[in-house]
Amino acid sequence: MALPLKISDLEVRAGARTLLQVADLSAPAGALIGIRGPSGAGKSTFLHALSGLIEARGRLCWGEVDLIRLRPEGRTAFRAKNMGLIFQDFLLFDELSPQANAGLAGLFRVRHDRPPISARAAEALARLGVPEGRRTVGSFSGGERQRVAIARAMATDPGLLLADEPTASLDRRAADTLIDDLTSLVRASGKTLIAVSHDPHLLDRLDRILTIEDGRVTGDTGAQAA
Amino acid sequence: MREIWDGLPVLAQDLMSAGALLLPLLVVGGVLLRGFRPWSLIRALMWRFRWANLLFVLLIAVSTGMGIGLIAQERGLRTGSAQAAEKFDLVVMAPGSELTMMLAAVFLQPSAVPLLDGAAYDRIANHPQVQIAAPVAFGDSHDGAPVVGTIADFVTYLSDGEIEGRIFTRSGEAVAGAAIDLQIGDRFTPAHGRGGGADAEAHDGVQIEIVGRMARSGSPWDRAILIPIETVWEVHGLANGHPFEEGDRIGPPFAPDLFPGTPAVIVHADELWANYALRSEFTEAGETMAFFPGTVLADLYRVMGDVRQAMSVMSVVTQVLVAASVLLGLFILTRLFQRQLAMLRALGAPRRFVMAVVWGYGVSLLLAGTVLGLAFGYAAALVLSRIVTERTDILVTASISWAEVTLALGFLSAMSLLSLVPALVVLTRPVVENLRQ
Repeated sequence: MALPLKISDLEVRAGARTLLQVADLSAPAGALIGIRGPSGAGKSTFLHALSGLIEARGRLCWGEVDLIRLRPEGRTAFRAKNMGLIFQDFLLFDELSPQANAGLAGLFRVRHDRPPISARAAEALARLGVPEGRRTVGSFSGGERQRVAIARAMATDPGLLLADEPTASLDRRAADTLIDDLTSLVRASGKTLIAVSHDPHLLDRLDRILTIEDGRVTGDTGAQAA
Repeated sequence: MREIWDGLPVLAQDLMSAGALLLPLLVVGGVLLRGFRPWSLIRALMWRFRWANLLFVLLIAVSTGMGIGLIAQERGLRTGSAQAAEKFDLVVMAPGSELTMMLAAVFLQPSAVPLLDGAAYDRIANHPQVQIAAPVAFGDSHDGAPVVGTIADFVTYLSDGEIEGRIFTRSGEAVAGAAIDLQIGDRFTPAHGRGGGADAEAHDGVQIEIVGRMARSGSPWDRAILIPIETVWEVHGLANGHPFEEGDRIGPPFAPDLFPGTPAVIVHADELWANYALRSEFTEAGETMAFFPGTVLADLYRVMGDVRQAMSVMSVVTQVLVAASVLLGLFILTRLFQRQLAMLRALGAPRRFVMAVVWGYGVSLLLAGTVLGLAFGYAAALVLSRIVTERTDILVTASISWAEVTLALGFLSAMSLLSLVPALVVLTRPVVENLRQ
């Protein structure tokens, strides 16, 4: 289930240095949000804070759950249940098949969760046009590998998809195809997508763009809508 | 409790000991792996770093195998030498070194020792509790094999009567050991002396015929040729122990004044207990001394026991060093796939699952190394046994006992606990930092 986002007074620090400060931000469930900004501006830090991978201060609520108030294991469990993560360089197990990679979460979920995860992984792989068979993903092209990574993110049926530069490792043609597939899949399923990207082709296809500079949100194309 | 344990069959005790040793591994494995399926990831990591993993497995296998092989070999040598000496209840000799005589009389190692005279032999042979008093005479050889002079009763006793052909009945006949490359009916001329210094022409004109062959005994006597002791004396130009009027008769009784001497008399008593009385009776100051080869071997084993202990300590030290290397290696390998582990954490894998992956990976390497080590140890013991058997003619059989299995299981279990350390350390590494690498 997609969840609305509500942030207030979010702050991420590294020692005495402030890496990120977001005073107030909200987004409805099912929004497709892009985050852009120069390198080192704090985009990935923001994404990591949204996924609960780093410690932060303030309030960061996904629905009714304030991620910052949760203990690390609670954040892990929340992530497992509600979030799908897509990384720039895919982070797949090259030695495994696309199905095994996409259904990875089934390895650590309770027994009755496994069949639906496996089924959703297969469905996502089919919808994304990933070749079937016993071939391992080590022999796949970049575009195919990123599709497997997206299928992995979708397999647990999370309400939120967080993507860090999903097209950065792909050539233009593969990136455009992936953007088509990703956005249509996310829109069809009603999930929330937050993608950090420098790619204007991807950002153009999203509902709202946040610009982050120097650890602060300096632009928000959907401020009124939100 | 102790009584219940002592009442159990040995196999049950061994199995329970093995189970107890494996218990920590099973408990840790059960706790970590419960409800998870990390094996496909472990297989993937195994394949990804296959050469490093193979090196690890070989390192563990060689160290485990070396310890196991040496201990198994030492036990095999002890058992083999004890079996080879089984037929030698009591040896009587002129005063000298028991060890030298045991090596000469039992293991047929050449050595120069003083001789017992005819009177001494007569006293031993005529003792009412002595069933067999076998004089032995060494010194000649054929094709490297010792030619030993003795009496027919001893040959029958030594071979338990299992002789193909027949026993020698007159001077100039011989019974070959099982490993001698001569057939019944073959003839040979003995060389004087043994080894490189043997004089092949010293006994020219002497022809000895093989009339029988002993069954294999697993002792150096398999590679000996046994002839009447009279033949040994005759070819050396000595009296043959019998007066002229007795003609060609061989074997006891011997005339004491025509008895040229024997380095040792191997005594078999009619009752086992009598050996003790005979030993003290035949140990006469300045005249004769008697000893049990078994006791001399036991003393030797005591010394070997110390060596074994040293070997065991060395084996444990090696294992500890390997354990340290394995731990270090696991740390290094986990750093190689820390991005994958961080990704798992980012995807929401519980800490226990990540630990299960790292621990399962380490234990898989250890298990493969230990199993391979047992096989390697067995193979090493097998090769060493063959070499020792070939060189000493003492039948040394290699076998892996529960002691070695226990050693291997103990190592595996201890290492499985230590493998928790890298598994725990992985969890302390920051996820985001590892993802960015």
